[in-house]
Amino acid sequence: MKNRISNSDSNAPLGPRYWRGLDELAETREFREWVANEFPGGASELTADPVTRRHFMKIMSASFLFAGLGLTGCRRPEHKILPFGDMPEFYVHGVPKYYATSLPTRTGAIPLVVEANDGRPTKVEGNALHPSSNGGTDHFAQASILNLYDPDRAMAFKNQGDEVANEAAFRHLASVAEKLAANQGEGLRILAEGSTSPSRLRLQRQLQQNYPNAKWHQFDPIDFDVDRRAASALFGKAVRPYYKFDQAQVVLSLDSDFLGMEEDLPRHTAGFARLRKMEKPSDGLNRLYVVEALMTVTGANADHRLRVAPSSIPQIASQFAGLLLEEITVREEFTNEWISECARDLQAHAGKCLVVAGHRQPAEVHQLAHAINAVLGNAGQTVEYLPVEVPEVSGLAELIQDLNRGVVETLVILDGNPAYTVPPHLGWAEAAGQAGEIIRVGYYEDETYEQSTWHFPAAHYLESWGDARTSDGTWVPVQPLIAPLFNGVTELEVLARLLGSSTTDPYDIVRETLKAKAEGLFEAVWGKFLHDGYLAESAQQPVEVKPGLEATKKAAANIASPANPSAGRLDVVVHRSYSLDDGRYNNNGWLQELADPITKITWENVIQISPATAKEAGVHYVDDEDMHLMVPWAKLEANGRSIEGPVWIQPGLADNTVAVALGYGRTRTGRVGKGSGHNAYPLRTTASSHLATGAKLTHTGRDYELACVQAHWAMEGRPVIREANLQQFREKPDFVKGMDLPHPPSTQPLYPNPLDWRQEKAVHQWGMVIDLNSCTGCNACVIACQSENNVPIVGKDQVRRSREMHWLRIDRYFAGDAEDPQVVNQPMLCQHCEAAPCENVCPVNATVHDAQGLNLMVYNRCVGTRYCSNNCPYKVRRFNFFDYNRRPLDELYKTPILSQTDGEWELKRWIKNPSKGSLPEGEWQLSKMVSNPDVSVRMRGVMEKCTFCIQRIEQAKIAQKVKAGASGEVEIPDGKVKTACQQACPAEAIHFGNVADPDSNVSKQKEQARNYTVLEFLATKPRLTYLARVRNPNPAMPDYRETPLTVQEYTQAHGNPFETHHGSHDGNGHGSSASGSHDGHPTESSNGKGAH
Amino acid sequence: MSDIFPKWTNRLPLQVLIGAVLIGTAVTAGVWYYFTPKYLRVGYQPVQPVPFSHAVHVDQLGVDCRYCHDDVEKSWYSNVPSASTCMNCHNQVLSEDPRLAIVRESFETGESIPWVQIHKTPDYVYFNHSVHVNRGVSCIECHGPIHKMEEVYHAKPLSMAFCLECHRNPEKRLRHPKDVTNLAMEIDPEQQLKMGQQFVHDWKVNASQNCSACHR
Repeated sequence: MKNRISNSDSNAPLGPRYWRGLDELAETREFREWVANEFPGGASELTADPVTRRHFMKIMSASFLFAGLGLTGCRRPEHKILPFGDMPEFYVHGVPKYYATSLPTRTGAIPLVVEANDGRPTKVEGNALHPSSNGGTDHFAQASILNLYDPDRAMAFKNQGDEVANEAAFRHLASVAEKLAANQGEGLRILAEGSTSPSRLRLQRQLQQNYPNAKWHQFDPIDFDVDRRAASALFGKAVRPYYKFDQAQVVLSLDSDFLGMEEDLPRHTAGFARLRKMEKPSDGLNRLYVVEALMTVTGANADHRLRVAPSSIPQIASQFAGLLLEEITVREEFTNEWISECARDLQAHAGKCLVVAGHRQPAEVHQLAHAINAVLGNAGQTVEYLPVEVPEVSGLAELIQDLNRGVVETLVILDGNPAYTVPPHLGWAEAAGQAGEIIRVGYYEDETYEQSTWHFPAAHYLESWGDARTSDGTWVPVQPLIAPLFNGVTELEVLARLLGSSTTDPYDIVRETLKAKAEGLFEAVWGKFLHDGYLAESAQQPVEVKPGLEATKKAAANIASPANPSAGRLDVVVHRSYSLDDGRYNNNGWLQELADPITKITWENVIQISPATAKEAGVHYVDDEDMHLMVPWAKLEANGRSIEGPVWIQPGLADNTVAVALGYGRTRTGRVGKGSGHNAYPLRTTASSHLATGAKLTHTGRDYELACVQAHWAMEGRPVIREANLQQFREKPDFVKGMDLPHPPSTQPLYPNPLDWRQEKAVHQWGMVIDLNSCTGCNACVIACQSENNVPIVGKDQVRRSREMHWLRIDRYFAGDAEDPQVVNQPMLCQHCEAAPCENVCPVNATVHDAQGLNLMVYNRCVGTRYCSNNCPYKVRRFNFFDYNRRPLDELYKTPILSQTDGEWELKRWIKNPSKGSLPEGEWQLSKMVSNPDVSVRMRGVMEKCTFCIQRIEQAKIAQKVKAGASGEVEIPDGKVKTACQQACPAEAIHFGNVADPDSNVSKQKEQARNYTVLEFLATKPRLTYLARVRNPNPAMPDYRETPLTVQEYTQAHGNPFETHHGSHDGNGHGSSASGSHDGHPTESSNGKGAH
Repeated sequence: MSDIFPKWTNRLPLQVLIGAVLIGTAVTAGVWYYFTPKYLRVGYQPVQPVPFSHAVHVDQLGVDCRYCHDDVEKSWYSNVPSASTCMNCHNQVLSEDPRLAIVRESFETGESIPWVQIHKTPDYVYFNHSVHVNRGVSCIECHGPIHKMEEVYHAKPLSMAFCLECHRNPEKRLRHPKDVTNLAMEIDPEQQLKMGQQFVHDWKVNASQNCSACHR
């Protein structure tokens, strides 16, 4: 039997309420059941059909018999200790080493410090020494380490698909170089992606000088360079903008997802969050206006969000320009109060505001944004313009022309995957066939590999020597932590060999480049450069700019008119994926399993449409009896091409708009990425790479099951997230106390809590505070936790069964009506309750408290009853249903006894080495290298959860005690222990430390008025508390709401937390204050609906 | 019918029951004793590739533990020295001795000497040497009279009970960190207790008995 859920059938008033997914909003019976199940969707079943539990038992009992007959384990295995013949200098076995390096991105770099354990890099962290970094990173940087150990990466030099020695490949390059030297580079074309490497720039220049007939082409599937080109054109000189969000009191984003999909995310987030921090009610807050079509992370953090069709954003930009720039007259009149009030607010904050345009917008929008910034006096204040050296490069279209003309003899592709990313109408495949030969340096043997004559494996950045410049222009090194695992080569080396240069070692190339720049004794500069991870004082100095009037006028005149999408003619946005970027992280399991911050879907991209459009198109979800989330499979046609994929109804998306993420649906990728999602690149054109208009969506009549973590672990609308508007917070700073729910009549425990006396013995009492006002929901912490704590991935099928293993997740709640909701994020992890409900129910004492207030999970005691998880009100415990670490994820249900791996029976393999599991040898050797040696790798059948990074705590304690020696200085100084999530957080939203020390940072944070406990009425006394969120809406705006929408549901049920008499009483007076609140805000919900 | 089952079969159920109890007790007792590290591990003395004598080096010659195990104060592990450490002396002393051929070879080729591991904690135990030796736990507390050993053997059980015994009463074993490698030092038990209690108080020794101390 199938039940249909659609928005149309619920006649109940859709008042502003907390809700997490559309099916929750719809209040269906299925959803009720889903919530009631601890692990929904059959998660608690041991095996999938058709293998039943009984069948499994049958096979297992036979296998135990065999194991017994073999009499294994009667002898103690002999282990060897293998010391070095000659000890390397400074090597201490068991003590990790840290090196500064950086992750190069298209328009900058992320400065990093990477931890290496016994020579293998294991954890990436930000480099806080760097002048423009606070030590935060993004999720890509955190996850990049997994790519290093990817068993599917390109491992050999190949010629026509046959493996060759690297010497043969280099000999070939030398012969090409000889030929090129003779004919001045005739027939040579290089296709590269954007880079900020000074060394590459130097070699590129040298190449253009030595080989004047050669051409260098640049193609980035996601083109962040548009902002630089627009600024240069507008100001008439080569400059690029450098945004300083930490100076901007008011920010207007024109489709710029600077907290999510734009580059330089850690720095932007850090700057933005800095102005979101509050210590007392009188502190100021910045204000964020967002004009966008998609629901993005930035939109989720907006104080005011204007939801418009994507094709009309340029017009809105020109309307802003018309209001703010005198010389611009806008073609058409407008009456949108949102825009005029926002413009007024910008004007009121002239010099302290910032207008940013996103990379999906055409250059004209960027030019208008820069012109507005210049006129408002923001240039030099909130945005600086830095000089930029741009070598002459051609685009992709010219390359394809040349290829088709047959003049290209040698095409060198430096990384990038054009066979997958080039818009299909350009005919890349045919053009590539015309090249004499294609030499490709690639990290994977992917779609482009099939077209290459020569394929060189690329080195990972942690295996390479290189350099880059961060967005402020500071030089940073790319320093290897390990020799190339598979003889990979770097771009620099290939370019040098192509030049026939005698210096081909990238180390020497980088040194040579730096020599030209460095002042003073070179070896000292070089040493400091590598040690600190940046070149001191190498940031660029901003230049004065003045927008050209003609250029501004031209930009305004060139603004395209909106497409006015309708149900039959949809606007389509193809966008960078939050998880996979442009597809380069397609084979990265951590990122594949990372839930999209908005849709919360894993392993997949979806065709997002708005609820209203879905209703109009007759699209709705289907839920079958087993709680599988079934969505319709649809066909999307645009630009004469079509793609197919599952439809996702996304609240907050603009009507008549469709959004699809790039990076999925690869035809040739590794084992992890295989079969994930569908390819959205066919919808692109060169004219408009992110927007297609006039599209049509048709239901194919088929349904499809998604792996979404959205509706799991719903919290039933309790005041889990508390927020207020700035005004309300100032009037009633302790409003969070007013939102406490009445405690049950007796909260006196039956037995005294052993922690009460035990904690007196410990020096430290650990606690955490998460500031919801700073947290943007960027996901960096989730991957940092996964990397630090050896958290496995489980695969799409297991996520569908709600068995994902993330210790730290980000809960995303919508509030208000489905069309234009407010969004709140909340990182949710083990709360380390002092009176932990999980501990009482464990029959084997596997989860207990220690004297420092940590809720411990003792893996070697756990027998897997899962009672603890049942009793956890926060739903943060994770159970290992399988040996995810040592079984191929697509073979979890295969009986290990009766199968073979590497041509050997599993049982025999198990006898030889029980830890290896059924992973093929090569994969096993590689995959275990990424593990943190300080954290147990958990086996099947045990529960696990956040430990507050106990390994880091213990390391710090040990370090302190070693330092103390024969003295009593055993207390760790504040700030010495940082949890992995805290370290990675660019917003500095997570505070951790010793709550027994009243002077510690975490204790001070806990003293704030905004400090509250989630589900405090359960009296679990968590050590993790949250700081309530404060919004800063502008009362003059048409969509101003006096109370955040999330609070309104609370108000209806429990009374108004902002009324002064509330909060002083506990429980009894709720009824009366509730009725009072209804009188106070009778029109809030209709206000919300009337905004659009 | 009465001939089919002789009379003694009436007692059979009782005999079976008593037998089962006895066998059960014997098995339990056997496992209790024989399956413990105290029985299985103590005394383990494998043949090493080089007949290295701690007795000669430490007791007779007075080499400090940390000359060879130089990372013990910094690391989780007390490192087994590289061949180059041996050769610091043995390029002069016994430089032609055939027993040291494998050491010289290791030094020259870089190939490791395959020492057989004796002391081993399970994978789920995170034991740190540096915090113990820097806070006054001597080598002999866990490794026994290693300075007297001609060939190293497993002297103490190193079971969890063994660890906890000391963590519960650290004052019985603590000494000043400067005496940690003074293995021959003999301390009168009464004086030890007095000294230990003083150290526990002065250095704020709080040997954790929580699971988190070793398991994570």
